[in-house]
Amino acid sequence: MKISGRQVKTQWLLALVPFGACALLGLVVRALPGPSPTVYVEFSVSEWLLVVGVLLGALVLGVVWLQRQERQRFRERVAELQKQSADDRRRLLQRVDHELKNPLTAIRAGIANLTDAPAESGEALQSVVAQTVRLSRLAADLRKLGELETRPLENAPVDLLELLREVIALVRERPEVADRTLSLGLPQAPWPLPQLSGDHDLLFLAIHNLVENAIKFTQKGDTVEVRAYEEDAGVAIEVADTGPGIPEDEVPHVWEELSRGQAARTVPGTGLGLALVRAIITRHGGAATIRSRVAVGTVVTVSLPGEGVSVQ
Amino acid sequence: MSGTNKPHILLVDDESAITANLAPFLQRAGFEVRIATDGEAALEQLAAERADLIVLDVLMPRLDGREMLRRLRAENNWTPVVLLTQVGEATERAMALEEGADDYLNKPFDPHELIARIRSVLRRARPGQPPLSASRRLASGTLQLDRLARRVWLHGSELTLTPKAVALLEYLLTHPDELVSRERLLDAVWGWDYPAGTRAVDTRVAEIRRALHDDAAHPTYIETIPGQGYRFAAVVNAAQ
Repeated sequence: MKISGRQVKTQWLLALVPFGACALLGLVVRALPGPSPTVYVEFSVSEWLLVVGVLLGALVLGVVWLQRQERQRFRERVAELQKQSADDRRRLLQRVDHELKNPLTAIRAGIANLTDAPAESGEALQSVVAQTVRLSRLAADLRKLGELETRPLENAPVDLLELLREVIALVRERPEVADRTLSLGLPQAPWPLPQLSGDHDLLFLAIHNLVENAIKFTQKGDTVEVRAYEEDAGVAIEVADTGPGIPEDEVPHVWEELSRGQAARTVPGTGLGLALVRAIITRHGGAATIRSRVAVGTVVTVSLPGEGVSVQ
Repeated sequence: MSGTNKPHILLVDDESAITANLAPFLQRAGFEVRIATDGEAALEQLAAERADLIVLDVLMPRLDGREMLRRLRAENNWTPVVLLTQVGEATERAMALEEGADDYLNKPFDPHELIARIRSVLRRARPGQPPLSASRRLASGTLQLDRLARRVWLHGSELTLTPKAVALLEYLLTHPDELVSRERLLDAVWGWDYPAGTRAVDTRVAEIRRALHDDAAHPTYIETIPGQGYRFAAVVNAAQ
């Protein structure tokens, strides 16, 4: 639906129509032969006030109705623009992925020819191989992001307790965890967490990504806490760390594709991890937020609706 | 045939950078390689000389990979085809079944993975016959899978499996007696290959085993190859 500014402006000219019509009618009546017809009307003041009240009421109703229409149109326009920009972004991701695919395939085949040649695979070549694999990973992540927004999700009951325990078990396999404190806090009383429904593997991926991030960005002696609690009609999962924190001006951008903060420059990754997390959580009808203080730590909160709220 | 026993591969891709690098790599791996730059050129080449396997890109000018494959199969030509595309999506899986490719690989791929795919497809191929990946129903003993309806039966009674488990079982059934790594399963069935995901594969394999009453220590269907992946050990046939 398209509403141009001109269309809205010309609508006000409609007010001239009854005025013009009555003026015209008056002229016609005056032009009639004989004396101009006259009507004498008698109103008591109370009746007169009543009529004025009704007219004013109608006027107010009309204005309110017009304003509501205007707001509705504005909301529709904003939603339309948002959808358009989301579509644009998705198409861009798909194109980038597509344009990366062929050169990367060719490079990988070319390198395979070199590395299979006898005794010529020096350090330089190994480095090229590693960078190519890294670019391939980036292309795969871009494609995944594009897909996540369109493909149907699996929607089955998810045992969040079990999922969080699995995530912690997998992260514990990382060697750095040995000199950090990693803990999982789950409510047991008076009742455990409510059931969720969604795509188990994607939720696992999202939470694992957050916990792994927290481990990657912290130092020896730091603490990483994963906690979950019931919230409104769903569950909140928090991943908190005593890491370096994120500068205030970087916080609003951490969920964006390829955003790599100051601290992230030295940590390997594609820069798509948090964008992927956001896409997964949004598709589940949830939200993800970050609170952070430099040199103190970071808390990422993921809110997910409980069972009965279907995935979108 | 050129006197040698080397399998003949027709490599079809419009991107010359890919064919120029991939062809020598395949040749060194022991294949005879010919190149075509689009679907029509490939069909012309095939009419002149048959190939043992076709590596086929999807997006090409003139005649794209999918259309070329459909024409080939419509002529009852069952030359094995490895299609270079993603097959993780449900809609694409249905299409894949319809078009009858033997295997899939997503660009950009590890060239060694392509060699592995080619070898296993050649090993499975039954000359002149449709591959398992082109049949709607597959059977292994009393286990039956209807790939379009996404339903599974054991001893004639229907099993309740999650959609992912059905997709995983489908992949294993169409690749019998082949060692498949967790990473490959993730890429083919889930459409992503994050290290964190290999656990998802194990979870679904466990789900399938439970449903099939398959003992992991003495499996009838799915074997675990420690440190490497899984293998579907039973014989699979196309069913009516």
